[in-house]
Amino acid sequence: MTPAREAIHLPVLFLTVTLLAGLRLGAAVVLIPPSLFSLILAVLLVGVLVQSGAFVPLRVINGSRTALANLNGGVVVVTLLVASAQMFSLLTPDSGLPRVLFSVYFLVLLINTMAASPDRIRVLRSLAVTFGAAFVLKFIVLDALSDPAGGRLTRLLQVLFEGVTLGTLSQDPQHPAAGYLAFTAIVMFLATVFLLRAPRFDEAGSTQAVALRRQD
Amino acid sequence: MRAAGLGIAVVYSFLIAWLFGQQPATFAEVAGTLSSAVGGYRIDQQAFDDGLQYFGNDQFAEARAAFERADPAHRDARTQFYIAYAFYREGWGRFYSDDRLYRQGLEAVDRAIALAPNGRLVVNEPGQELRTADELKAELERGLKVEPSDFNPARVVRPRK
Repeated sequence: MTPAREAIHLPVLFLTVTLLAGLRLGAAVVLIPPSLFSLILAVLLVGVLVQSGAFVPLRVINGSRTALANLNGGVVVVTLLVASAQMFSLLTPDSGLPRVLFSVYFLVLLINTMAASPDRIRVLRSLAVTFGAAFVLKFIVLDALSDPAGGRLTRLLQVLFEGVTLGTLSQDPQHPAAGYLAFTAIVMFLATVFLLRAPRFDEAGSTQAVALRRQD
Repeated sequence: MRAAGLGIAVVYSFLIAWLFGQQPATFAEVAGTLSSAVGGYRIDQQAFDDGLQYFGNDQFAEARAAFERADPAHRDARTQFYIAYAFYREGWGRFYSDDRLYRQGLEAVDRAIALAPNGRLVVNEPGQELRTADELKAELERGLKVEPSDFNPARVVRPRK
């Protein structure tokens, strides 16, 4: 990892994700800090990233580095943790049954991933699918089911789901830009997590060359 | 490079923590709070004077609009006091007070108290009975409570402050 990536790019990107994921647009803009449960999920996610090798803390904090370099590494660890917590906070619905279901979904999925101990690429793919699915469910499906200005079919579905779930399904309507903001935060977070251990171009080339030689 | 990166990360972190703490609702509030932190925030005096004039003429909605224009970042204690006062006067009634306006007034006077040095705000202006934020807050809180004195017939002749 280059010093610029470690000291500037990663912290700035993670902090931007923290800010974007905390924004809730409405009549007034509100900034929501991560919930306690999302902090627990974030710790599990960092654990999964470390276990899979997607993030190696010893590369950024160890005794052979200077104090300043270790401080940079510490900032990367802390910002990764906070950004992860904010991502879970962003993707979990605000209230009702969906909030409970999403929380359990994330918890089970992370524990399952830890138990399976997949490699880096599989963890990154799994993370993209998990966050993508949660995004679709929260910002498209649930939002459509909670839209008070929807058509007849939507209203019929709303009444049906309200009856079945005793009114615990519908959420407060979201600002039209909320989904776009969340999408940006997710893409930025996934890209930054990829950068945590992405090889440089020359390194990637030499790694591929070594792999090809081994195959020969 | 590393020192610069650390500096950028620390400043950015503090900015985000500050935003989460302050909860500015608009970009005007962000800009206003930042400039007031360095002592550079000024209200629009012309709009404030317009607000005072409307307030004196019992045009409370107009007064609040002018005060909002004068202090878009909600960083001036005196302006927030007058916004709260306008809510009080508009919500005041001989038989009952408008709880919605009183609640908004309470929010504004709380902002004024939070902004005033040591929470003490005195506004000496001729023709107004409530001269401190504490008096105004107490009056607004009294209006929101249901008390036995609310049913006193003599209440209808009490003056508006």
